[in-house]
Amino acid sequence: MLEIALRAFLILIYATFVGFMFMGIIRIVTARIHRRVGPPIYQPILDTIKLLSKKSNITHGLIYDFGIIYALGATILALMFIPLGNISILRAYGDLILITFLLEIPMLGIMFAAMSSGNPWAGLGAQRALLTLLAIQVPLGFAIIALAQFYGTFSTYEIVMAQQAGGWSIFHLPLFLAAIAYDIVLQAMFGKEPFDIMIAPGEISLGPMVEFGGKHMGMLQIQHAIALFAETLFFANIFLGGGSILVLLIKQVAVLMIAIFIGAIFPRFTIDQAAKFYWKWPTIIAALGAILASL
Amino acid sequence: MVDWRLFEPLFNYARKKSLWIVAFCTGCGGIEMPPLMTSRYDLERFGMMPNPAPRMADLFLITGYVTPKTLKRIIITYELQPDPKYVLAHGSCPLNGGIYWDSYNAIKHLDRYIPVDVAIAGCMPRPEAVMDGIKKIMEMIENGTADGWKRYKENYEWYKKNQDELFGEGWREKEARRWIPWLKKK
Repeated sequence: MLEIALRAFLILIYATFVGFMFMGIIRIVTARIHRRVGPPIYQPILDTIKLLSKKSNITHGLIYDFGIIYALGATILALMFIPLGNISILRAYGDLILITFLLEIPMLGIMFAAMSSGNPWAGLGAQRALLTLLAIQVPLGFAIIALAQFYGTFSTYEIVMAQQAGGWSIFHLPLFLAAIAYDIVLQAMFGKEPFDIMIAPGEISLGPMVEFGGKHMGMLQIQHAIALFAETLFFANIFLGGGSILVLLIKQVAVLMIAIFIGAIFPRFTIDQAAKFYWKWPTIIAALGAILASL
Repeated sequence: MVDWRLFEPLFNYARKKSLWIVAFCTGCGGIEMPPLMTSRYDLERFGMMPNPAPRMADLFLITGYVTPKTLKRIIITYELQPDPKYVLAHGSCPLNGGIYWDSYNAIKHLDRYIPVDVAIAGCMPRPEAVMDGIKKIMEMIENGTADGWKRYKENYEWYKKNQDELFGEGWREKEARRWIPWLKKK
């Protein structure tokens, strides 16, 4: 019992630290693409310390506080279900649908908090985020179905084990198509550029984040770090073959780099364009993958 | 209970190294911000970011002259920011009016209405001068002398008296009624 708690704690520390490093990498690589020097890699940690050490803190009621905790809790729960080398604690119960669902829950928590603040920008951002969430469901569902169909199981752990024997998922054509669709979806889950419609700084003033300040925003930074780690980890596990912690870390950075490069060179879609895009191209690709996998 | 004063040097270092700016530009100094933020001078080296939301911002740049109409927004935005917050005034206009010294519609002394931590002289200050001012405010944060937010709390009566003299009593409520739909009344 104590050992499991200790392992959970270590996973949490590791995920938070690596997530913050990922946020730093995002900022540095974007800066280098802009031909700037960029901040140091530990900058997000400093930002979080600063936000948590704010002397005054504004709250808008119970739901406002609860939404943040809800988002953080759901992210941590999702992290525990994803296989992480051989130290993960709930990996045997990690269901594909469960994990994808848990990875989207945090957005709902942030929505609760943002909507309860009563700020019009937050309401607008929440609306956009929910529509994005709706748009990514369709290709995501097809990609998951393609995986489940190909391996004949919904268990993430068994999929990782099958990949150890039969090669990475992306080397099989149907799953390669599913991986492309999933990677486009990942862009929206990270909130990176072509699909950062819900936060859109300069357009709707960070959308749902507009009213968060001080400790609430600090918690959201931690949540964002863990979510970044969990999402890349999930992709590296189901499509890139899993492995030990170190191998996984390299694969995660590779997934992250693709997202950064796409994010740094593309402008932003409007919400209707994004929904149309998601319901057309990734859906077709993922559906094709699912059909090929079932043949 | 943890004694958080022990961590105060760490907090001050973090505050110094991660100043988020409110994207609120008044007057002509706003045009100095794009070269500062982009690849020419790149303020992100020091962890500074322009931030559209006042709730998570620390540094407020008053970039140029201030009219009474802008001052209302400045005061409201300043009060929205959470507590260790710093104000950096650009150019001579917020100091003494600058070339608008005899204008009926410009504020002559900004520090009568909100506390100013660092003022940069010049009309307009070049990006190098702004970076010098930012370096100064970083030093002041580290040794704890950037205490504008404390002064605003302690001398709130005085600041409020000056603001009310300019705008008339109850201007906040009137302003809020104009912009917030559910406060609107006949």
